[in-house]
Amino acid sequence: MSTISEVFLPGVGRKFQVETLTGDRLVIVIHDDGTRELYHFTRRNMDRPASVLRLTDGEARQIAGIVGGLTYVPRNLPMAEVILGDLVLEWFTIERGAACIGQTIRELGVRTRTGASIVSIIEPDQTTRTNPEADTVLNEGATLIAAGDRRTINALKRLLIEGRVE
Amino acid sequence: MDNVILEIGLALALIAFAVALAHKLGLSNIPFLIVIGIVVGPHAPQWGVFDFRFIETGSLISFMGRIGVLFLLFYLGLEANLTRLIEAGRSILAGGSIYVGINFTIGFTFGYLSGFPLRESLIIAGLTTVSSSAIVAKILFDYRRMANPETQIVLGITMFEDVFLAIYLSLISGIVLSGATSVGGVLSSGGIALGFIVGLIIIGRWVTPLLNRVLRISSSELFVVVVFACLFLLAGLGETIHVAESIGALLLGLILGETEHSERMERLVVPFRDFFGAVFFFGFGLTIDPFTLGGAAGMAIGAAVLSLIGVIIAGLIVGRRAKLSVVGSLNTSFTLLARGEFSIIIVNLALAGSLMPVLQPFAALYVLILASASPLLAKESERIYDAFARLFKRLRRKKKVDEEVEETDVESVQEPRAEARGE
Repeated sequence: MSTISEVFLPGVGRKFQVETLTGDRLVIVIHDDGTRELYHFTRRNMDRPASVLRLTDGEARQIAGIVGGLTYVPRNLPMAEVILGDLVLEWFTIERGAACIGQTIRELGVRTRTGASIVSIIEPDQTTRTNPEADTVLNEGATLIAAGDRRTINALKRLLIEGRVE
Repeated sequence: MDNVILEIGLALALIAFAVALAHKLGLSNIPFLIVIGIVVGPHAPQWGVFDFRFIETGSLISFMGRIGVLFLLFYLGLEANLTRLIEAGRSILAGGSIYVGINFTIGFTFGYLSGFPLRESLIIAGLTTVSSSAIVAKILFDYRRMANPETQIVLGITMFEDVFLAIYLSLISGIVLSGATSVGGVLSSGGIALGFIVGLIIIGRWVTPLLNRVLRISSSELFVVVVFACLFLLAGLGETIHVAESIGALLLGLILGETEHSERMERLVVPFRDFFGAVFFFGFGLTIDPFTLGGAAGMAIGAAVLSLIGVIIAGLIVGRRAKLSVVGSLNTSFTLLARGEFSIIIVNLALAGSLMPVLQPFAALYVLILASASPLLAKESERIYDAFARLFKRLRRKKKVDEEVEETDVESVQEPRAEARGE
């Protein structure tokens, strides 16, 4: 995972500095008036940004959704996650052999046993069930979107794969 | 006073022209507004219905300018948040103290040694110390420096200067308006002003929960009238007990800045600050007779050069503490060299206290020089550094040649330069 540092810029807003695994640096400045600035520094020149992008608040939110995979989840990724404060949204594909295949959400006791909840299911044929009923059957190859905190999400994953919480 | 609306319209057209020109050239609008104010005035011609002398409306423009100062300082109060400054950490407090200390000392010494009395010297020290937040923010944004490591230091020092300015303005308004000239008189009137202000801020903190509740007003119309009524009332009341009206506005800003409504108020005040503030800078130029500028020119240039030296020394010290590269330190210096709105506000106090009139053209020229020089220097800081590095390299080589009577190895000279740039 890349390292992220956060600095307060008095009178302007906040600055986030991301050192990516490729060795580049991305600096995101969030102005209190909503403007976002993205500075891209390459490994070869850390003093002068290779490019600077300025976005309005609306553009930034739209782009955040796209980059964060809210509209399209990368197809070859077994799981992906979005972190909003304590809330974690995680995309999780049910792979062959998982203990939960063929069971309903109620039978598994997802909410009661783990504390996380399944907020959406994307079936292998790309049909989406948002807010699935408790008697929805989990199928192999379906992608679940689960919401919870870090601990409950991990418990949920264990429940789905191994069929037990502890 | 038949054509009063037409004359005000003409003044606003000139203001709009100055702001448009500054915008077109990508520069701060403060120097343009002052210059256009100086150009017109009682000595200017009258073309038909267009009267560029602004004799009849002069008092109206200066009144609008006074409102401008109220809004500028009210906004400063909302922004200058002591709690936020303390949260920002000790490094900002230390850096800010170094920076303000050096520049204030230089400014005061300069004023005093130029033969000015104590109160005038205090005004000069103030107006040469505080950077223009507006120009600093513009430089950082325009030159795309928000991501640079020195930027958080520049912004931190600007925030420190805001708080310093709030305290200093309050102190100095007591001194200037009370008419004290002896050191003892200055100290006691300054003490009274400071006591009044600290008392008000303590009371203000105490009533913050009450203010939070009272100001929970959903109607934006009611909100604006209530806030502005408080602003003018408190400013006016301050005036009756010899605290400059602008200090009343500043204090109200400081108190209301602690409430949960401060952001809503900032949004509300900004257009009024921009409009009446522009009229204030124009009106300030209008009060200056262009023929007095010549007498103040030498002094203004001298002060500007001293300020340049002061910011470079302060920038290098602060930069070294923060482990910045030399170019980063120079960026800090040159960006913070910008002087603008606050210098004019401070010298405006001198007018209210009827101090020596030469301060006005001095401040105007000083601000014009530094408001234009600072963005240019900040933009070219890297090239300036390279030029100096080359100069030092040549000097060192010459010295070495003199001492050892042999050619210097180019490699060994270039190495420290790369180090200094933090590469």
